[in-house]
Amino acid sequence: MDRASLKSTMSPRNVTRRDVVTGIGAAGVGAAGAATLGRRASAQARGPLTVTIWTNDDPAQTAWYQKRAQLFNAANPNIKVDPQRFPAGELGKKVSVGFATGTAPEGFLTFDFLMPVWLDKNLVAPLDVQRLGYASIDSFTGDHPPAALSNLVKDGKAYGLPTWFHAFSNWINLKHFKEAGLDPDKDAPQTWEQFGQVAKRLTIKDRDKFIRQGGKFAMHSPVWTMIQFNPILLQCGGAWFDASGKCTVNNAAGVRAMTIRASLVREYGAEDPADSVATNPLPMMDWLRERTSMFLVHPVHPNAIKSQNPRMFADGDYRAIRYPGLEPGKGYATTYGFVLTVNAQAPKEKQDVLHDFYKFFMAEPLEVWKETAPFAHVRRAGGWQQDPVVTGFPNAKWLLQSREEGVALPRTLVFNELGDAMHRAVQKIVLNNADIQASLNEAAAEVDRATAAYRRA
Amino acid sequence: MHYRSRIGRWIGLALLAALTVAFVFPILWMVTSSFQAGDKMFALDAEWIPSQWHPENFPNALSRAAFPLYFFNSAVISVIVTASNLVFCTLAGYGLAKFRFPGDRFVLLAILSTLMLPIEVTLVPTFLVVHKFGWINSYQGIAGPLLIDAFGIFLMRQSIISVPTDYIEAARIDGAGELRILWQIIVPQCWPALAVLTIFAFRESWDQFIWPLTVVSVDQLRTYPLGLVIFNDDYGTPPTEQMAIAVLATIPVFGLFMLLQRWINRGFGLSGLK
Amino acid sequence: MPSSSCTTDPEANGVPAQTPPATRRFWHIGFRRRIQLWGVAFVLPALLFFAVFKYGPMLWAIGLSLTSYDMVSQPSFVGLENYQSLASDPIFQVTLLNTLVYIGVSTVLITLIGLALALAINTGVPYARHCMTAMFLTNLMPVIAVCLVWKFLLHPFGPITQLLAPFGAARIDWVTNSATAMPSIIAVTVWRFAPYFMVVFLAGLLAIPDDYYEAAQLDGANAVRRFWHVTLPLLTPVIFFVVVVSALLCARIFLLPYFITGGGPGSATRVLSMLIYDTGFSYLKMGRAAAISVVLFAIMMVFTVLQMRLFMRNERMLA
Repeated sequence: MDRASLKSTMSPRNVTRRDVVTGIGAAGVGAAGAATLGRRASAQARGPLTVTIWTNDDPAQTAWYQKRAQLFNAANPNIKVDPQRFPAGELGKKVSVGFATGTAPEGFLTFDFLMPVWLDKNLVAPLDVQRLGYASIDSFTGDHPPAALSNLVKDGKAYGLPTWFHAFSNWINLKHFKEAGLDPDKDAPQTWEQFGQVAKRLTIKDRDKFIRQGGKFAMHSPVWTMIQFNPILLQCGGAWFDASGKCTVNNAAGVRAMTIRASLVREYGAEDPADSVATNPLPMMDWLRERTSMFLVHPVHPNAIKSQNPRMFADGDYRAIRYPGLEPGKGYATTYGFVLTVNAQAPKEKQDVLHDFYKFFMAEPLEVWKETAPFAHVRRAGGWQQDPVVTGFPNAKWLLQSREEGVALPRTLVFNELGDAMHRAVQKIVLNNADIQASLNEAAAEVDRATAAYRRA
Repeated sequence: MHYRSRIGRWIGLALLAALTVAFVFPILWMVTSSFQAGDKMFALDAEWIPSQWHPENFPNALSRAAFPLYFFNSAVISVIVTASNLVFCTLAGYGLAKFRFPGDRFVLLAILSTLMLPIEVTLVPTFLVVHKFGWINSYQGIAGPLLIDAFGIFLMRQSIISVPTDYIEAARIDGAGELRILWQIIVPQCWPALAVLTIFAFRESWDQFIWPLTVVSVDQLRTYPLGLVIFNDDYGTPPTEQMAIAVLATIPVFGLFMLLQRWINRGFGLSGLK
Repeated sequence: MPSSSCTTDPEANGVPAQTPPATRRFWHIGFRRRIQLWGVAFVLPALLFFAVFKYGPMLWAIGLSLTSYDMVSQPSFVGLENYQSLASDPIFQVTLLNTLVYIGVSTVLITLIGLALALAINTGVPYARHCMTAMFLTNLMPVIAVCLVWKFLLHPFGPITQLLAPFGAARIDWVTNSATAMPSIIAVTVWRFAPYFMVVFLAGLLAIPDDYYEAAQLDGANAVRRFWHVTLPLLTPVIFFVVVVSALLCARIFLLPYFITGGGPGSATRVLSMLIYDTGFSYLKMGRAAAISVVLFAIMMVFTVLQMRLFMRNERMLA
């Protein structure tokens, strides 16, 4: 080619407009959206009725789901209950995407503190408590501790079935107590002040570095921050929100509570918040590795102790005691857990199947205990908690009792935003030594913005 | 650039080795952790070399969930996606590199723009598209959105640009068809880029997490990253087993890399980098 | 660089080639035009694919930024409200700033270090190839394992601090101190990506024929001049690739920083990708998340266009 024609093919381009190609894609998506959003198609007439339940991924609980599903399906040939498990952190996301695309399961598990959102968006159906085996809603509520019901019951109806619920306790290392000359029975801390002082005594330092921290708060996730701080706030007479919905975590009671929270670091010098090898998979790692003598945590599974600290497991020298409070013997913790729900958009026959399965699923708390101890179903009924298998399990009596006495997390539509705001505030306070009032003011402002935006965006 | 002096070479090696160690030591730690006893991991006075080796971490980890099946699924997806990328990214890269047509710069920008929107906000509509095809819970569903990657197109374009246009023009004059030119002139000159593309496409699809998580809700179709996350919910499993799975997951990509290395060198008549 | 030499296109002077009438009608669109069409044809499959799997969802997401959408009910139109509320949100402002710093610094470091590593490998040192293979491994490890390991390595008393102990460091709060958290995350990012781009640079370096170096050497150029006048210009397309791609990767990166710091302490390491994830999936505000995504999109678009202007001038000289 000569130069002239060369140039013309390489001349600065005239921008051509994008056109049809994009339109095809957009139309395709639009059609898909219109067709699939909304009610699911009803179940097919022939073949077994398939009902899907999405749950989280705790292996012991998963095994129980599979077992019960197998038994249930065997007893009901025309029905197939199919529990599917997902990582706990991802379950909420999958369910949301499921709802967005019309592919949500018939039943799903959720954290109890997320129930207000599902309820507000009318995604969960009210339960027919009679079909679950209860005479009335009152016998349903009577079968569960109040904290477990706090986010579920609305207008005299129950919208979820509590399954596994836990409360936090103070897990103490008895070996450390004895080494420090403390008596685990008499000197075990009951108030926050005692908690700090005992922690100080249990602390071992090498100049600035902690060889062993006396006590520790988990710092690795907003949910944990909320669970740990919730009781302190309530004990101080504070509240998360006032009657008008404004966040009040930055009032005098809130500042007092946060001061208590930060006191382990600031006042007693018994904790180094930056010094932690805990990760999400093993939040209690510091306690398991005996880098801290006391740790506020949910029931610790023996397998965790066995795999991380065989000696502690073999000697059994640990104990779960009451969460600290403002007055001796009056401490309480947060009770939180998992709730099985029924998708409000599922067809009636599948909802009925779910009820039957749920009833069957919750029917044998003692067997559940044997499978998943120290995590247990939160039902009271049947006296299973007095069975020797249960009472003989280390700390079982206290763990079950702590659930009864615990308080629920705040019932709010912006729980995740609240958790994130509090988590950031705590980080600033204990890691960067920020001013408590200022940090709480920022957190409260964030939460108020989130509340205002809830309806808007 | 080739150093001629012997001393220079060995000094250079020392520096390179130091750099390598700096980059590699986290990986070494990962590998030794996978053989470590469960209670020794995360100990701050870390044992860099385990005093006792625990190879049983590997079979133990594999039996925690259907990992052989998950790895198989991942492999199927990755092979499909890699093959598709090799074909279509090369085509498109060639088209953008050596052909001037109106709007070609805009097309490049448009292609790159597919990388600029985070996946979170496109999850739902992509899911809807895949759902419309009926591909939920299927290999096609997982592989579908990954079949052509803008990174790959860009990579091939940048590589093909350096191929001298004379050869192409000469071949055209000789009457060669465009596809033949592509196959016989461009492709042989782009071995390194094709190798990089292969690794890259395979690795991206092998590690995919969010998309398979969204589109798969049955256990039989899980890919291994979905399986890996179960360790996060199990209080009894030593984290060393999670490391073991991670180490196993590296092997196929690493093997592919070693294989392709040899190709690159052979393609350039090098038996080792000079 | 040799430019296209004149060829003997019979049609160059407007004189039709001596082809039989039937085939001439078929080729009547002309030699050049046909080539242009082939170019379009090569690109078309990718564009069609993107139309279905990318542009559709992207337009949907962009449109979503003008709505309020919680994923479980239908989106409702709110106009520019999301953007207005973002503009006055202090968290968004901090996050935006963090993101710009993060992308900017990481991209520069990745490009420089990747190139330096590739040059180092390409010298004549023995065992260079083994070093390259070993370093490339950093990119092959699954991200969850990388997260766990780095979280541990960056512990205030962890292995890295211990390595620096001879220099007097007893404790370094790598990620638990607001001042050092972002640099630490940048370092981990560079660690993860630089070796990958090292391989890309290497592929580019290998493609430079030796003749050029020999010619330059014959002209009396020393190593530095050879690098500046031969290597660098010929590497321009690859540098363009590395700069744009590493920026795009850094803009998207999510799990690594999220796992190690969660955006903390406070908001010191919060970047837009985390904010998008939290806003969309945690707070169920997909419309707002889409708006944040559009902001990120715009930033990356501007960046890419600038790079295209910068680099594509040079490309003309090469082809």
